[in-house]
Order: sequence, then structure tokens, then C-alpha cells
Amino acid sequence: MQRLIFQVTPGIALLLWSDFIVAAGAIEGASGRQAVNPIAIGMFLLFVAFTLYVTWWAAKSTKTSSTFYNAGGQITGAQNGLAIAGDFMSAASFLGITGLMYVGGFDGLILSLGAFGAWPVFMFLFAKRVRNLGNFTFIDVISQRLDRDPIRLVTAFSTILIVIMYLIAQMVGAGTLIQFLFGLPYEWALLLVSVLVLAYVAFGGMLATTWVQIIKAGLLLTGVTLIAALLLADSGFSFSNLLGKAAVNHPSGEGILRAGSIFDDPVQILTIQVSMLFGTVGLPHILMRLFTVPDMRQAKLSAYYASLFIGYFYIALLVLGFGSIAYVAGNPEFLNEQGKLIGGSNMAAIHVATAMGGDILTGFMSAVCFATILAVVAGLTLSGAAAISHDVYAEVLKKGKPDPKTELRLTRISVLLIGFAAVSLGIAFQHENIAFIATIPMVVSASVTFPILFLSLFWKDFTTRGAMYGAGVGLISSIVLIVLGPQVWVSLLGNAEALFPYDYPALFTMPASVSIMVWVSLRDRSDRGAVDRDNYLRLLVRSEFGPSEKEMAQS
Amino acid sequence: MTDANIEAVHRKTRQRLLFTGIHLVLYFSFTLNWTSWGEGLGGYLGESRLTGSLLMFVVLVLTFIVLETIFLMLSRREAR
Repeated sequence: MQRLIFQVTPGIALLLWSDFIVAAGAIEGASGRQAVNPIAIGMFLLFVAFTLYVTWWAAKSTKTSSTFYNAGGQITGAQNGLAIAGDFMSAASFLGITGLMYVGGFDGLILSLGAFGAWPVFMFLFAKRVRNLGNFTFIDVISQRLDRDPIRLVTAFSTILIVIMYLIAQMVGAGTLIQFLFGLPYEWALLLVSVLVLAYVAFGGMLATTWVQIIKAGLLLTGVTLIAALLLADSGFSFSNLLGKAAVNHPSGEGILRAGSIFDDPVQILTIQVSMLFGTVGLPHILMRLFTVPDMRQAKLSAYYASLFIGYFYIALLVLGFGSIAYVAGNPEFLNEQGKLIGGSNMAAIHVATAMGGDILTGFMSAVCFATILAVVAGLTLSGAAAISHDVYAEVLKKGKPDPKTELRLTRISVLLIGFAAVSLGIAFQHENIAFIATIPMVVSASVTFPILFLSLFWKDFTTRGAMYGAGVGLISSIVLIVLGPQVWVSLLGNAEALFPYDYPALFTMPASVSIMVWVSLRDRSDRGAVDRDNYLRLLVRSEFGPSEKEMAQS
Repeated sequence: MTDANIEAVHRKTRQRLLFTGIHLVLYFSFTLNWTSWGEGLGGYLGESRLTGSLLMFVVLVLTFIVLETIFLMLSRREAR
């Protein structure tokens, strides 16, 4: 029985959300679905009503493309920090990490540290410099130094790829999760998510999206705090007692308190760490949030507050993860006829809420999960729309001089198109094994976005040609190694053994991409290369001190 | 652009890279848990069920926050 309870999806369950998606089949059917919880529905409707009110309020001040993309730069550092934290404290993090800890105890923490470790790097390297050099997207930053048209096209392409892949993973996961938690048919769940997200983004832009994210992050932090406090209270406020109970309940016994239950290869751990850290730092919808604050000081504070909130969240998940083993594992209330956890391991977080707080806490956490999906999808949609309307249309096609009304209209049309694509692809991929799709955004972000942004800001010899070749190598090697890896080559294509042994290849693709960028840049003798090098010092000073008075006057 | 400005930016760049380097060393040290060099981390702390590995996780999270705090304080002092 215990073996069944702790069965792990093949491959690295790291895939957070994707793990949940793969397990979707197991959730279907009355026996595997959560009973409809009126408290969850009531709380969710309350959240929707309030966030729609916020959208109506935000829509009144969202009249230009500037306010649309960056909320008019009026968000404070603390608010923005909570919004950034909200972007990363997704349903995937909450459910996936608790689920992975339920399966393997300590080994699940690699994802927590991987996700958290990105924020200090974000603050040390990027927060101030990106804020000082850009306007709406991180592409503004690199295109000030490199040849704007080709670099904008390449980075906008990688942004749209990241956003679409991320959206597919979110939408398929969302449909499955909502179907499980609320009993809604899959297609209706996707439609509901999409309609609400379109309302938030199309009318309220970044201001509404940020406030939806802030509200949701506040609710999620409240929820995990409450569950962690109840778990500790029930264990005599001793974390050691909680760990002892968990060890007794798990087939690996005390092995769950140290490394080795799921992973045994240090190289695999390194690939996960590299992908999580550098992938997160390069995510376009996270970088975009740096422009919603008024100045560079608030940008740095945003990153700092985000770290505090995310650090707190993952320490609370440490309690929830072991608490789920202590209170959910082996409890017949949470097992189906086959002896498996109802809804799969990713539902461990919801079940531990039930074990600690009954229907009320379950309802609250279910509503928070739904809210989380809405907020993350809204941020992604906005980021994709900005890449199309700002980076491609306004800056490339209109050479930086677009008609503001046309640009804003195009942004809203882009939001609609992305929403339509998200629902269509979510339905198309409903029954597919799409674990690999969830892998692509992190690996591409680590192998394309991060190296270009880092070298633009920190290396004087970096040139457009180097960036283009390196981005090509990063993109192609990422896709090829993911296809040859266990998720596609074995799980999807049915081959016996993977040609490349790791799910996340960023440990190899990122150095390959950086090496090509450096090698080609050093050999670049073109006129454009000379301009790129000359631009470095001017931008370096501006990135630390902000635009000069003369530059301010010109802009 | 004055020489003083450029020197200040270079100093700040070195500081950024130093903090990032320290952070990355600490961050990747977590991999020790899965190697023979980190076997000692699997032991219990005293009579409790808390292992060195779990303590390392919490200490790393807190250390990263402390690093950020120091970085922010240095930035603020330099700005003054």
C-alpha cells in the first residue's frame, strides 16, 4: 500500500506543473475528483468580484501605452516585491514543491532553493541596471547597446516562445486543477480563466495585473502561514516532532530527512540548479516588473522584498512538505480505491489543508490556487503582448515612433490573440504528455535571455553578431537536448533509453551559448561591432547613475 | 562622463560580481548533499530529528537574505 501511495512519475518530478499535467489522467473520474466545495466557490467568487473592481479602477488610469505596460511607474518597492514574489509563487510552486516533498522529502527542497536562489542574483546584477536603461521590457535595455532591429526580433521571438510554452503548461495545468477542485469541465475551466485574464489585462493593463498579483500573493502567504502554524501547533510547536512523524509515515523512513530519496546524480542536481536560477532571472514577465516602480532605488527594493517574501514562502513550504507526509500519507480519507493519493502527489498541499483546517481551509486554499493561476497567466499574457506591440511593432516596424493610440489598440488585440491561443493550445494539448513544454521556458531563458542581458550589461566586447550566433546556438541546443532527453525521447516517443540523460539541459546549453557569444564577439571586426563596443561605457555609467539631464531632456 | 564616475561604476561592478560570486558558491554548495563529500550533512543535530541537510537549507535561505541586506546597505552608504 505504502509503495502505491508514494509512486513517483517517471523522470524528474521537478517539472512541478508538468508533473501535475502528466498525472491528469489519474485525476479524471468521480473517485479521483474532489467533492465540490461551496466554500471554495464562494471564496473564489469573492476574489473575482474584488479583482474585477480593481480592474475597473485601474482601467480609468490606463489610457496610454506607457501606463498599460508599466502601470505608470507608480508601484512602490514593497508592493512590487510582493507582485514579483506572486509571479513566482505560482500554483506550480505551491502544489508542485509540496507534492515533490510528499514523494521524496528533502530532495523536493532542491526546487525551493533553485527558485529562491535566483532573487539575490536578480538584485545584485540586474535590478538597478535594467531599471535605469529600459522603459517597458528588458529588450529595451539590450537594444540600446546592440543593433536594435535584429536583436529586438531575436529576443522578442524568444520572449514569445517562452510565454507561449509557459502559457500552455499553465493552461493545461489550470484546466486539470480546476476540474479537480471545482468539478468544472476542462474546456469551461480554460474559458473562465481566459475571460477573466483578458478582462484584467486588456482593460487594466499592468496596474490591474500587478494588483491582482499582490492580492493573490497576500492570500497565498496567509494560507501557507496558517497551515504551517496549525501543523507546528499539532506537533507541540516542535519541528523535530513533525519530522519524526513524517519519517514514521514514509516508506523511505528517516531517509526522507536527507538527500537521495529521488535524485542520486549530483550532475542532475546541478542541471536543475542552473536551469532554475538562470532561467528565473531571465524570465521576461519577471524582468518587466522592474519598470513598474518610479526609480532605481525602488527597483532594488522590489528585488529585496521579493526575496524576503519568497524566502519566507519556501521556509513555510518546508513545514508543509513534511507536514503532508506526517498527516496525509496513509490517511484513508485522502486515498482512492487503488490506494493512491486522490488527485496525485500534487494535491498533497490541498489535502494537508483539509487535514488541518477542514472544509474552510480547503476552500480557502482551492480558491487561492485558482487566483494564483489567474494572476500568473495575466502576467504572462501582458509580457507576450508587450513583446508583439512594443518590441516588434512600435520599435522595429515603426522605428520607435508609433502612433500611441494604434500601439495601445494593437496591445489589446495582442492580448486577445494570446488569450485565444492559450485556450486553443490548452484544449489541443489536453490529453498530451506535455512535461517537456514546461521545461522549455526555463532552459531557453537560461540559455538565450540571461546570457544576452548579462553580457550586454557587463562585458565591453559584446557585439550584436556574437549575441545573434550565441542566441541561435542556445535556442537550438536547448530544443535538441530536450527532445533527446528522457521527457520526449522516452516518455513521449516511446524509446527505451534517452540519448541525453537529463531533463533540464541548461548546465550544457548555457555555457555553449555564452562561449559562442564570447568567441564570435572577440572575432567580430565589423563596423557594427565597433559601435556596440563604443556604446558600452556610456551605457555602463547610465546604468549606475540613471540618464543624464541632457538625456532626460531629449527623451 | 568623468573619470571619477567611471571609476565608481567599475568599483560597483566589481562589488556586484563579488556578491554574485559568493552567492553562487553558496548556492551550488547545496549539491554537496548528493555527493560523498557531503555525507556528514545527513547526520542528526543532537537529539532532534533535524539533519545537517535540512539545517543547511534554512541557513542558505537566511544567508542569501543577509547577503542582500549587506549589499543594499553598502549601496545606500555609497549613495550618501
